[in-house]
Amino acid sequence: MPLKGLRGKRALVTGAASGIGRSVCERLRREGVEVVATDIHQSGGLVVADLSDADEVEKLAAEAGTPDFLVKVAGGPVAPSRGNTLPPLPGKSRLLEDVSDRDWAAVLAANLTSAFLVCREFAPRMKARKSGRIVNFASIAARRGSDRVGVHYAAAKGGILGLTKTLALELGPFGITVNAIAPGFIKTPRIAEAGWGDAGQAFIDALPLRRAGEPRDIAGVVAMLCSDAGAYVSGATTDVNGGWYFGP
Amino acid sequence: MAAMKRVAIVTGAAKPDSIGFAVARGLMEEGCEVVVADLYTEGFAAFSGLCVRTNVSDPASVEAMVAHAMKKHGRIDILVNCVGGSWGITEQDLRAAPRATFLGLENCGDSDWRTILGANLDSAFYCCRAVAPHLKAQGGAIVNIASVAARKGIPPGAIGSSGPYAVAKAGIMALTRQLALELGPFGVRVNCVAPGVIASGRFLKVSAMVESGKGPEGPLANIPLGRVGTVGETAALIVALCTDDAAYMTGVTIDENGASYAA
Repeated sequence: MPLKGLRGKRALVTGAASGIGRSVCERLRREGVEVVATDIHQSGGLVVADLSDADEVEKLAAEAGTPDFLVKVAGGPVAPSRGNTLPPLPGKSRLLEDVSDRDWAAVLAANLTSAFLVCREFAPRMKARKSGRIVNFASIAARRGSDRVGVHYAAAKGGILGLTKTLALELGPFGITVNAIAPGFIKTPRIAEAGWGDAGQAFIDALPLRRAGEPRDIAGVVAMLCSDAGAYVSGATTDVNGGWYFGP
Repeated sequence: MAAMKRVAIVTGAAKPDSIGFAVARGLMEEGCEVVVADLYTEGFAAFSGLCVRTNVSDPASVEAMVAHAMKKHGRIDILVNCVGGSWGITEQDLRAAPRATFLGLENCGDSDWRTILGANLDSAFYCCRAVAPHLKAQGGAIVNIASVAARKGIPPGAIGSSGPYAVAKAGIMALTRQLALELGPFGVRVNCVAPGVIASGRFLKVSAMVESGKGPEGPLANIPLGRVGTVGETAALIVALCTDDAAYMTGVTIDENGASYAA
């Protein structure tokens, strides 16, 4: 039973310039989905938008129309800005007392406010159509806490779970499912650059599946949730972490 | 040269209106050889592959079924444990109307408890134990079926249902996590789907016994997505967990309940 219900649909994928987002775009396109890709980072064929800015989200909507699938990958441990769209990942976790007001606000904005703004912009359009799939990106940091980044990131991703569950209740009557994916350690090019992978060989060897995740591992789960296999899944958080953490 | 055909065992797949039946069909579409293990032998005619009369609550019966599958196909890649049911799950019940009662703490006899735990939890343990050495040989996937009942319990009074069922299904979630740890290093992933109210044949029969609009576990209007799930949707999810789309997932329970309970 290859995945059904994808061909001919339209998706908006945020955070699409690299890593997981890019892999999601590739996978959905391979399934015959028409993808509008966006990122704050300029890259071929992408719509550039800063999703923590409501005006830019509104402009994005004008270009993207009403997607069947809204996949919000945008976010991460450090907040990009228009001037620095691909900031390096932190080398180590930040202690509570070292998280500045600015870091807190920026990471909350990049991960949580952006998700809220995009949902607020697109959900009414999906409601009017009485169908849609929203896939939010949480993190294992929201499940077990973060000892790799810090409280700002874990709190932002925890907020994604509250957003997801609330929207599942609110949008369910309109035939819209809302779910979250909580990736574990996924070896994206940026993470490899930051040296996270090298430092953690012992950690990886202790994972039940004995490997780091790849962006395509996450893209597969996105495809699953957007397909008929995800039609009755809503309000759920899917942990994709090689057995690192099992969720509730 | 074509890859070796993967072999899947699906328990509880013989009833044509069941989740297991749709899973077996879905795995065939994925190109698997499917072995059906069930007590509902009159359903076997719908399958061209190997069907084995199996009482999954009996370890000897399970061992014999797995030996039969190995003899015929020489390998096992996938196990989906679909056998289960909340109340009235003896062999006679397979062909009878659902029981018009709720089985709770004070009216649950020792043998009822054993039957319900046996069919829902022991069965998965026996099947996993029997196939594990064969799955480990080349890697593979196990999918267990829990229930939203494991998250939120069964409302007392729910006709045709039982409290021990919720307990057994919570055990399934724990079994899933434990086996993920034990089998992960061998490339065997173990995951679980926890469906909410799904329009299987059994559900439709129970629905006919309660007032309209009221499911066996309470008003259907309480489901945010505004409908019950279908057997096909649930099967598609289970089958997807058997594929490489879920290659980095193990030990996980996916709640599939139309947003009626967010874990």
